[in-house]
Amino acid sequence: MKETNRSINIIRVIFMVVSVFIVLFFFLNYSEKMSRPLMDYFTAGFLAETGAQNAVAAIYLDYRVFDTLLEALMLLVSVMEVINVSWAHKEAKQYSLEEELFNRKDNSEIVIRMVGAIYPFVLLIGLYTIFNGHISPGGGFQGGVILATALISRYLVYPNSDLDLEKLENFEKLLFLAIVAIPVLYIFMQVEPFYSLISRQFYMILMNSLIGLKVFSGLSIIFYRFVFYEGR
Amino acid sequence: MNFIFGEIAGILIFFIGLCGLMINKSILKTIMSLTVMESGIILFFITINYTPDSVPPIGQAQEAAFADPVPAALMITAIVIGIGITAIGLTMFMHYKQKHGITHWTRDREQQGRGL
Repeated sequence: MKETNRSINIIRVIFMVVSVFIVLFFFLNYSEKMSRPLMDYFTAGFLAETGAQNAVAAIYLDYRVFDTLLEALMLLVSVMEVINVSWAHKEAKQYSLEEELFNRKDNSEIVIRMVGAIYPFVLLIGLYTIFNGHISPGGGFQGGVILATALISRYLVYPNSDLDLEKLENFEKLLFLAIVAIPVLYIFMQVEPFYSLISRQFYMILMNSLIGLKVFSGLSIIFYRFVFYEGR
Repeated sequence: MNFIFGEIAGILIFFIGLCGLMINKSILKTIMSLTVMESGIILFFITINYTPDSVPPIGQAQEAAFADPVPAALMITAIVIGIGITAIGLTMFMHYKQKHGITHWTRDREQQGRGL
């Protein structure tokens, strides 16, 4: 039993090494330099067409907005799966939450003081990254992750589960509805009061903040569910 | 010719993850191997169209050429989807472990607790 396992593993490793060499051989010898029509098209006039100075934001909010819609749907589905497929959800009757485990206070004083001093700056840089996502490096996804970091550092200071995750999940569903509705109205149906640079930049800021809040609530729900419900 | 650049490193990391996916019997290590494969794919994509002396694609066109913004915009969505996949896998693993008491693909309930 043990010997056959080892020989099978050796065969698998040899197969992997051979396939790595085959792939690298073809990649190095037969890959041709192609022209870049998508990049030329996207970088030619993105400022005039979309109003964003950041080409990446112009791509994921205007040229390829379907990517963003389906990615937001994917994050929402994973959050709903984390809540509903969880063992703690299925066995809710015989799974009573232990109060003294939830309300413990044995964390370090240094961590509490330092996180309390850093906390407003984390929020500030998160909001800056979201609101300047269309003119500088950044955007909704990155800013949402930084905001979620603020809530995770709150867990280090105050490890109690008094956060209403149901309300946060409903908030995320509403945000997803807005994320789907606004590009449909703005890009596909062209419903807008005046087609100018101001309205385009307003659309960019609105979408970036919606995506940032959605990523923030999704990651916070995933983190708190894993910490309090999956950890045993 | 310089052989160490991002695309080759991405291919190597992808195959290391695939190797771990084939060899490991632990479900948790399978999920970790999936994450390693995904980081290899991300490294491959963000270095796929690299040209030296290019500037980030922000603002008006300058004298230097822009870097390619398309793989960066694709990989932003790929990173968030990777987080979702990892969370789904870990939750399903915890459910499976609580229900059947099994943490490895090839073991039944009596064979648990043997280490690796």
